[in-house]
Amino acid sequence: MSTLAMPKIDQSVLNDKDSIVRDLKKFTNSINIISDPEGITPYETDALSAYKQKPMAVVLPENTEEVSDILKYCHKNNIKVVPRGSGTGLSGGALPLADCVLLGLSKFNKILEIDFENRCVVTQPGVTNLSLTKAVEHNGFYYAPDPSSQIACSIGGNIAENSGGVHSLKYGTTTNNVLGVEIVLMDGTIMRFGGKKLESEGYDLLGLITGSEGLLGVLTEVTVKILKKPQSVKALLLGFQSVEDSGQCVSDIISGGIIPAGMEIMDKPLIKATDNYAKAGYPKDVEAILIVELDGTESEVNILIKRVEEIAKKNKSTYLRISKNDEERLRFWLGRKAAFPAIGDMSPDYLCMDGTIPRKKLAEVLKEITKLSQKHGLRVANCFHAGDGNLHPLIMFDSNIKSEMKRAEKFGADILKYCVKVGGVLTGEHGVGIEKRDLMCEMFNDEDIQQQLNIKQAFDEKSLLNPGKVYPILHRCAEGGKMHVHKGDTKFKDIPRF
Amino acid sequence: MPEIYSLSSEHEVADFIKNCNSEEVPIEIIGHNSKSIGRLIQCSKSLHLKNLSGIIEYFPEELYIKVKAGIPLALVEIELDKKNQELSFEPPDMGFLYTGQSNKGSVGGAVACNLSGSRRFRAGALRDHILGFRGINGKGEIVKSGGTVVKNVTGYDVSKLITGSYGTLVALTEIVLKVQPKNEESQTLLVSNINLKRALNIFSKSMQTSVEISGACFYPAKMSKFFKLNDLDTTTSITAIRLEGPKISVVERINTLRKLFDEYKKTISVLENYQSRIFWKNTTDLQFFNNSKNIVAKIILPPVHTDQFINKFENEELKYVVDWAGNLIWVEIPENDSVLLRQLRTEVTKLAGHMTIIKAPNHMRIKEDFLTTVDENIKVLSLKIKESFDPKKILNPGKMYSGI
Repeated sequence: MSTLAMPKIDQSVLNDKDSIVRDLKKFTNSINIISDPEGITPYETDALSAYKQKPMAVVLPENTEEVSDILKYCHKNNIKVVPRGSGTGLSGGALPLADCVLLGLSKFNKILEIDFENRCVVTQPGVTNLSLTKAVEHNGFYYAPDPSSQIACSIGGNIAENSGGVHSLKYGTTTNNVLGVEIVLMDGTIMRFGGKKLESEGYDLLGLITGSEGLLGVLTEVTVKILKKPQSVKALLLGFQSVEDSGQCVSDIISGGIIPAGMEIMDKPLIKATDNYAKAGYPKDVEAILIVELDGTESEVNILIKRVEEIAKKNKSTYLRISKNDEERLRFWLGRKAAFPAIGDMSPDYLCMDGTIPRKKLAEVLKEITKLSQKHGLRVANCFHAGDGNLHPLIMFDSNIKSEMKRAEKFGADILKYCVKVGGVLTGEHGVGIEKRDLMCEMFNDEDIQQQLNIKQAFDEKSLLNPGKVYPILHRCAEGGKMHVHKGDTKFKDIPRF
Repeated sequence: MPEIYSLSSEHEVADFIKNCNSEEVPIEIIGHNSKSIGRLIQCSKSLHLKNLSGIIEYFPEELYIKVKAGIPLALVEIELDKKNQELSFEPPDMGFLYTGQSNKGSVGGAVACNLSGSRRFRAGALRDHILGFRGINGKGEIVKSGGTVVKNVTGYDVSKLITGSYGTLVALTEIVLKVQPKNEESQTLLVSNINLKRALNIFSKSMQTSVEISGACFYPAKMSKFFKLNDLDTTTSITAIRLEGPKISVVERINTLRKLFDEYKKTISVLENYQSRIFWKNTTDLQFFNNSKNIVAKIILPPVHTDQFINKFENEELKYVVDWAGNLIWVEIPENDSVLLRQLRTEVTKLAGHMTIIKAPNHMRIKEDFLTTVDENIKVLSLKIKESFDPKKILNPGKMYSGI
C-alpha cells in the first residue's frame, strides 16, 4: 500500500465518534449507519486499491432530505464528508479519510422517469450507467457515454468524474449528455441545476459540477438525454508496419472530414498480449493495429468505410478487414476490451495511466514511452483512444520486488509530464483524485490552482466535502500513485476496463 | 461617457484590471459591441478587446482552433471554411437583429453570451465546443483552464463556467474551440400549412427515428414573409426539418421521412442544398426579427410544453418562431407591453422553462431583469462564484443580475 499526504486528522471529531454516530441515527434509519470495523471495511478503498483508509463511519441515506440533514449536521460540526457512488473510480476520488463520514449513494438506485417525448431519463444517481441504456433500448434509444466500467459505475459517479468512453469523439463525454441535477451543498442547501430543457441561464453551474470529483456537492437526482441508436454500425480492423503510419491514418481520416464513432490504436506488445489472452485473431506481423468504427445510415456507413479504406491504403496499411456483421465487429473489439486483463495475465502488477495528447503527437509520445521503459527497466504496453487522444499506457511490474512499485510510479509520472509537455493533459477520463493530485502543478500554476480553490470555497467554505482530492496540499508537486493492479486482483476484477 | 481603453495584449489587460481593482473602478468589457444583451450598466471605464486579435494556432486534423478573444468570429469562420471545417454549434449573426446588418462580433463576445444556432439540439451549444481559455480575473490575475484536447478532466471545467457569464468573471484573452468537418450536403424537408401542434409532433416523431435530423423549426404563417427563396411557399406556416451529411445519405433519409409523414404528402416539398443553407442561416441569424424595434426574447422550455405555452398567448399580438425541435421559442413583444412580458415570464417559469431578453430599449435594460428571476439559492451561489473571481465586483458589475 502506498502512502500520501492527506488533510490533518481532526482528533476532536474522532473523540466524538460515538456521539456523532448516535446523532446520525436521527437523520436516517439506524440500519443505514455503519461504524463497526468489519462493516466499514468494504468502503476503505475504491478501484485505486493501492490506497486504503477506513472512514470513521459510513452512512447510506435513502432520500434527498436525509442527505441534506446529514450534510447540514456535518457542516455545523466541522465533520469531513467523502461522497461515494459505486466506488469504481480509478483515481482514488472516493478514498475515505480517517475522520470522515463516508456518504454512500447506493440506496439512490431507482430510475424515476423515462420521458421519450422529451428524450430524457430522470434517475437517482446510484443507478448504473448501463441500466440507463437497458431501460430505454426497447424503444431503440441509448445513453451515449460508455465508460468501460459501465456495468458497475453509477451515473452520479459518471457526472462527478465526467466519464468518457470509446465514443466520445462523436458523442461527447458525460458533460455533453447531462441535462440537469438535484444537488445538495455541504451546508445542506438543496438546489437544482438545469432540468428537462436544453439549457439554463445564468452561470453554467451544471457544467461546473460535472467533473468536479465530488468536491462541490452531492448529487441526489440526475436528468440525462438519450439518443436514438444509429441504423447501422460497422468497423474496420487495420494493421500498420509502424505506429507513425497508424497515427497518420487517424489524422487523415479526421482531415478528410470523417468523424468515426470510435478509433482505437494498440501497439505491438499489447496486440501480442491480447491475442494470446482473448484470441481475437489480430494480425501478428504488424507494429500497430487501428480499429475504426463508423455509424449512421446504411449507405452513409458504406461510403465512409470506402473512404477510410482508401485513406488506410494511402498510409501503407498492410492488413485490412471490414466487419461483415455485428458479430465480427464485436470480435474486432474483443482483444481491445481484453487489454487490461491480458496485461494482468502477463505481469503480476500493472499501473494504468490516463493522459490525453494531441493526436499528431502519438508516435513521438510512444517513442518517449519506449525510452522511459528502458530507463526505468519496466515493460509497457499502450492502448490509445485515437479519436480523442486519450492514451492508456499499462506499466508492468512486480510489487514483490521492493523497488519496482516506486519505479513504476516514477515511470507513470514521467509519462504524464511528457503528455503535458507535448500539449496534452494529465487525465482524460479517470480523474485527478489523489492519484494525479500532486502532478497538478505540471499543468497549472499557483494562480490557476488558487482560482479553482476559490470556486471550491464558494460551494463549501469550510472545505469539508471530499478534502485532499484533486488539488495538491500545500501545492507540493511530487509523484503520486497510479491505478495499481496486483495479480489481476482489482477491486472490481469482473468489470471490463479499456 | 466612459473612458475607453483599447488594449492589444493579455499583459496590458492584466495590468489594466489590476489597477482598476486596486482603485475599485468598475469596468465594462466590450468586444466588438455587436450585441446589447444583459442589463445596461454604466462604468467609468470601458475595456475594448477588439485589438486583441489573431489566430494563435489552427490544426484542422486536431479539430481545434486557438484564437485571441477579440478576433472577429467571421474571420475565424473564413479560415475554417478553407479547410472545409466549421463551428458546428452554428454561431448566430446577431448583427441583423440589432442593426439590420451583418455583424458576428468577436469570438470572446460569442463565448460570453453562449449563443448557438439551429443545430444546437443535435450538435450541442457553444459551451459544448469550448476546450479551454485564458482570461484575466477581477484581481488582474491570468487564469486558465482546459486545453486543446476534447477529453480532459484535469481540474474543474472552468471553461464552461466562463461561457455565458457575460464578462462578469474574467476578461477573456484566449479561447480554444473545437471545430468539425463541414457537412457535404444540406437538404430541408418542408411541410406547409400545418399548425404548431402537428409540427411538434413531426419533430418528435423524426427524433424517434435514426434519421438524425439537425434542424427543426416552425414559422407561423405571419412570420415567414421575409424569406426570398424560390422553392419556399411563404403564404402559409412552414415546418422545416434539416438533414445533413453525405449526399446519398441525405437523400435516403429525406425519403424515409417522406414515407413516415405520408399523410402530409400533398404539402411536402424539399429545399435543395443551396436554398437549404440559406434557409437555416436566415433562421439562425434571426432574420425574422431583422432590426426589430420591439423587445425580443429567447424562451427555453421542455418541448412537450411548447404548444401549450403558445396556445395560451395565441390571441395576443405575439410574434414567434419555434426552433431547436421545439426546445426554443423566439418571441417579439411590443415595446410598451410590459404586462404581456410579465405574463410570458410567469407562464414560462410555471412550465419549468426560462426567458432571456435578448434585445430591449435602454430604459428597460436599466430597470428590468433580462434573465428570468431565479431561485434565491442560485443567486446566492452565483454571487459567491462572482466574488471568487472578482471580489470587488469590477468586471461588468450588474450585467447579469443586479449586484452580480
